[in-house]
Amino acid sequence: MRTLKIVMSLSLAGMSVPLFAGHAEDHWPEPIKSYRTGQVLFDRLEVTRTDNDEDLIVWDMLAWYGGDRNRIYFKSEGENRSDDGEPAELESAELLASRLIAPFWEIQGGLGTRGSIASGAERENYLVFSLFGMAPYRFEMDNSLTVNEDGDIAVNIEAEYDIRLSQLSYLQPRLEMGAALTDAEEYDRPSGFNNVRMGLRYRYELSRELAPYIGVYWSRALGDKADRVRDQGGDESEIGVVVGVRMWF
Amino acid sequence: MEKPIAEGRRRFIKSAIGTASALALAKIAPAWAYPMGRSYGEVIKADNPVDLHIRRENLNIGGRIGRPITINGNMPGPLIRLKEGQRARLNVTNALDEDTSIHWHGIILPENMDGVPGVSFPGIKPGETFHYEYDVQQSGTYWYHSHSGLQEQLGHLGPLVIDPGDGDIGSDREHVIILSDWTFEDPYEVFRNLTVAEGYYNYQQRTLGDTLADIRSQGLAKTWEERSMWNRMRMSARDLLDVTGSTYTYLMNGRDNATNWTALYKPGEKIRLRIINGSAMSFFDFRIPGLEMTVVSADGQPVKPVTVDEFRIGVAETYDVIVTPKGDRPYTLFAESLDRSGYVRGTLSTELGQEAIVPELRSVPERGMAAMGMSHEMSGMDMESSGRDKSGMKGHHGMHDSYDENMNRKPQQPSAPDLGIEHAPGGHGPGAAMIARNPVSRLNEPGVGLEGVSHRVLVYGDLVGAHPWPDEREPERDIELHLTGNMERYMWSFDGVKFTEVDGPVQFHHGERLRLIMVNDTMMDHPIHLHGMWMELENGQYPRPRKHTISLKPSEVVSLQISADAPGSWAFHCHLLYHMKAGMFRVVNVS
Repeated sequence: MRTLKIVMSLSLAGMSVPLFAGHAEDHWPEPIKSYRTGQVLFDRLEVTRTDNDEDLIVWDMLAWYGGDRNRIYFKSEGENRSDDGEPAELESAELLASRLIAPFWEIQGGLGTRGSIASGAERENYLVFSLFGMAPYRFEMDNSLTVNEDGDIAVNIEAEYDIRLSQLSYLQPRLEMGAALTDAEEYDRPSGFNNVRMGLRYRYELSRELAPYIGVYWSRALGDKADRVRDQGGDESEIGVVVGVRMWF
Repeated sequence: MEKPIAEGRRRFIKSAIGTASALALAKIAPAWAYPMGRSYGEVIKADNPVDLHIRRENLNIGGRIGRPITINGNMPGPLIRLKEGQRARLNVTNALDEDTSIHWHGIILPENMDGVPGVSFPGIKPGETFHYEYDVQQSGTYWYHSHSGLQEQLGHLGPLVIDPGDGDIGSDREHVIILSDWTFEDPYEVFRNLTVAEGYYNYQQRTLGDTLADIRSQGLAKTWEERSMWNRMRMSARDLLDVTGSTYTYLMNGRDNATNWTALYKPGEKIRLRIINGSAMSFFDFRIPGLEMTVVSADGQPVKPVTVDEFRIGVAETYDVIVTPKGDRPYTLFAESLDRSGYVRGTLSTELGQEAIVPELRSVPERGMAAMGMSHEMSGMDMESSGRDKSGMKGHHGMHDSYDENMNRKPQQPSAPDLGIEHAPGGHGPGAAMIARNPVSRLNEPGVGLEGVSHRVLVYGDLVGAHPWPDEREPERDIELHLTGNMERYMWSFDGVKFTEVDGPVQFHHGERLRLIMVNDTMMDHPIHLHGMWMELENGQYPRPRKHTISLKPSEVVSLQISADAPGSWAFHCHLLYHMKAGMFRVVNVS
């Protein structure tokens, strides 16, 4: 909790200190005031049906608040398998301080946790650094590196691209890859590439803020991770169809 | 919901009693904009002190009840008519529940009368009255508006006309036309949408269909070259206006297209139209199909007559044109937004109730290589170019090579001086998504979407001052400012630093003659306004035209001569309201 406070205060300290650029006398207002705003974005909020006849609810959201250079982010991804009687699984829940370092890129750092959402569950806590923004050719990217309490290092890459079909509809290919730089036995992440997931979604904007979509994805475990999944009698690859909504407010 | 309707009805009845005119039945346009022209219109003649009351109230705007800021019950506010040589006395009473102000746009006056809260005065508190008083030293067409927050977007604006000392307006009749953009959304919501969701109001983006059409018509290689250039830069060739007809109702003297503002004329008359762009965010292309217009004044200052069929008017600019209608037919006064997302029309006719054919909106233009600051030799591609058919699939490319066309059209046009432009090492930081690699003078280009038109379009290069200005000294010093922005985050600034990050004013030395060089390092057009002093545009003409607001095209460089003769602090900013709000604002200090 203390680390969290430090992150908060550091990021707030970076936010604009109004400097005096006018002529105004002390009691006069600033002609142009600095402003902050924020947004809550559910990039994916979807129901999935896998080829193993499993039903999942999946979310991928972020929220931010701040000015145009310094912001605070909260990001979370996770899923809940219905009928398994277990609480939802947090893939990540992260609180980050963010700074714009180039016109299209933010560097972000903070704390995260993953694991079962159940109270009292043993979760994996970690430090996270992200390079977040838009690559040339308009690829939306979120690349992050995490280090947990045991020093295990993992890398995650997410890329999305919007192909505009009309003024209101889009086709969105999506790629996600996970890799571990060190063996994290406890968390089932052997060193090397762990998984890849590709998706394709068709989205229609009812408004800029609310866009339902349908889509498909294919995911596969890789390398040692795939061996492990097979040893446990699991299926190393999975195909699913999704119905969901992208929304922000 | 009940209340606004009831209030609207009361207003309706009240005004129907107030005026006998059939046109006044719906209280829509302000009284001065009734179409009888100068001799009959209700205007505030400022022989005596003028009282202006600022309030927020329900008003019928294009058939729907909105809640604008009104001035003496009107939106836009009353036409204030001053006379050169008089002392203006204007009392502004604030009946809002927040601070307000009035800035007299383009008027030369003392620093403390300029009306910019935080720069020239503290602003006008709720319930307070501020007394503006200044000597009127000029004549022409100007306007006034709030300089507080986003009040301008709520209609806190109006026309200001100053008659010359001898009273001669150079025509038989005149009409004032103030263009504005109204939204039923909260302006702060508009600003937030622009900030959090790039392209929120742009429903004219390129689609997959456009790309396929390009491949069919110009081949894969060229399409790839074009698309990859834009996509590598993460910019859009259709990024024309930030706020569009998708939320705006464009107004002419407070009336929308259906309520058709009408100006009357008598056959054979010479009519002066005083056109003011009082909108928050919209560039307009103005034309009167079937009628040529002779531009006689720009930003209130006389220019040598130049006859055109169309002109682009940037936000805050004014043009006076003389027209002589043939016969007694009606003509459409047509103002089309730069991005072709909408228009507003009025009618010029001999009696009320007439209308002429309203032109179709032209196809959505696209920015070309010139917008990126690349000469066309470098890229082997067109300059700003090429309309695309609205239907999307069939691109027509009849407007290509328009750059050469323009050059042929005005081969003898003098050009602006060649200026060596240097960018700060390492660019302008994360607030600037682009740097014009090869900024050029574009004063002889009509602007995006107007390159290929077959009729005469005004360019800045056409403007010649009617007479020389008093200060003929050569500039002693250059000041260079770059217009910078990052559309993705809605960051707008000068030299990559927004107002709240700047640690001091831009310093002019009192009495000096200086040259202000501006470079547009963005993909948008920006109307830049200097308060308190004129800017003489170095467009290669003599006498130079004098402007209070100068529009820069993407990757354009312009130079202006300024006499720093007005001591004090003055605002200097982009007149696109939300760009100013985002930080594209500086204070110029003259001392």
